[in-house]
Amino acid sequence: MNELRTIAVGYDGSPDSEAAVRWTFDLAKRVSASVTVVHAVGLLEHLEETFSHAEMPPALVAIAKECDVDGTRLRWFVDDGDACSVLLRAGAPPLDAGLLVVGSRGHGKRDGLLLGSTSLEVAEHASTPVVIVPSRDMESDASVASTHLE
Amino acid sequence: MLLVVNGTYDDADHEDPGHPERPDRVTAARAGVADLHLGSDLVVVPSHCATRAELVRVHNSDYLEELSAFCYDGGGDIDADTFATFDSMTIARHAVGGGLAVIRELQRLDEGVGFVLARPPGHHALADRAMGFCLLNNVAVAAAALRAQGERVLIVDWDVHHGNGTQQIFWDDPAVLYVSTHQWPLFPGSGTASEVGGRRAIDRTVNVPLPAGATGDVVRQAIDEVAAPVIDAFHPTWVLVSAGFDAHRADPMADLQLTSGDFAEMARSVADFAPRAGRLALFLEGGYDLKALRSSVHATLNSILGEKRDVNELSSTGGPGKDQVRRALRERQAAVEIVLSSHDEETEP
Repeated sequence: MNELRTIAVGYDGSPDSEAAVRWTFDLAKRVSASVTVVHAVGLLEHLEETFSHAEMPPALVAIAKECDVDGTRLRWFVDDGDACSVLLRAGAPPLDAGLLVVGSRGHGKRDGLLLGSTSLEVAEHASTPVVIVPSRDMESDASVASTHLE
Repeated sequence: MLLVVNGTYDDADHEDPGHPERPDRVTAARAGVADLHLGSDLVVVPSHCATRAELVRVHNSDYLEELSAFCYDGGGDIDADTFATFDSMTIARHAVGGGLAVIRELQRLDEGVGFVLARPPGHHALADRAMGFCLLNNVAVAAAALRAQGERVLIVDWDVHHGNGTQQIFWDDPAVLYVSTHQWPLFPGSGTASEVGGRRAIDRTVNVPLPAGATGDVVRQAIDEVAAPVIDAFHPTWVLVSAGFDAHRADPMADLQLTSGDFAEMARSVADFAPRAGRLALFLEGGYDLKALRSSVHATLNSILGEKRDVNELSSTGGPGKDQVRRALRERQAAVEIVLSSHDEETEP
């Protein structure tokens, strides 16, 4: 297996995506990898910009500080598209992420439904390894993180 | 003669309060048609609920079952942009069926222009996934039906967003030519000039990404200089238009600067690609400013039907993007060369 240089993690502001970011920061420190936090700008976000393209959201800055992440190895990347397409592109240039990390559910998803599940879509179509970080609800149900490692 | 789909199935129940893709859009577009005062030259075509056999030409069976189940379970948010209600699957099937009904009626009459005035829109819908307000790909199902009859179908997509779903569905199909002008970068992020089609359909995808602020003269340049030579070589037997009107300068969803006069000019250009009468149909895609939608629908159809010029808004000029159009031409030519050379290498004994 090649050295893991860059990990991309999806972030939409949901509690699950924050959990995915924390998990990623922890892994990145262990394997000395860089982290790119990826945010997908959907159609509706054009009407009301949720996150700055230039600056990492304060909530993420706080998590990075809490996790003692080296700021020079951390990047905020905003791209147009649905979450699934944007995350899949993160495995290709220019990001070239060697690992994709997603939370099990983003905003607005209903429990147990496959339709619209970014995590499952990414796991199904990605050409790079994918880690799906379970939500706290799932953890409490003793569910296990689903990993799809090549 | 204008053939318009009658929304025999009320689309009002496909609504999420506050969402811009709303029933009022159809009301505004209908008003744009009414403003034409066509009298007996307006033919109302009843839609039907598209059958499974018609849908699976384009959509994955599992996806259709999943979407149905999701709706009948009460619906909800499919992703950050896209919703469905209990009635959405039925309404979306009627939108698809409306397109098929208009095509059949044009074939029967062998004259006129079709306008599929239905929602939800379709051009972002992938074979196996809803996205970008779209559940089923209306224009793609219509194109697939024509293609099954041996037709060569040109799809021109002038919605401000790239029609990633339509492009994906026909990516490797040499009998369908997909042409898109769109703002870029913008949702869905695809639609670069170097996307030129799959190995079996090289040069059957034409994308001209345009910068924010681009005006009508830039879009016309894109059609004339980049798309027209490819279309002429393709010799389409049918022309379908993904007619979104969100490139209008008043639309809140994007930043192009088109006017209703620009849509009138684009419509005239695109209508000229149809080989004869009765071989042109437009499908409503985006367009979220109701006043702009009404005036743009009116100007577009007025122009195609050969009526007097729309005088409410003159065509626009002077925006950025002419250099990008020239660059797009170079990039796609280079991409075609690369794909062709890699194809040659693989087929050499």
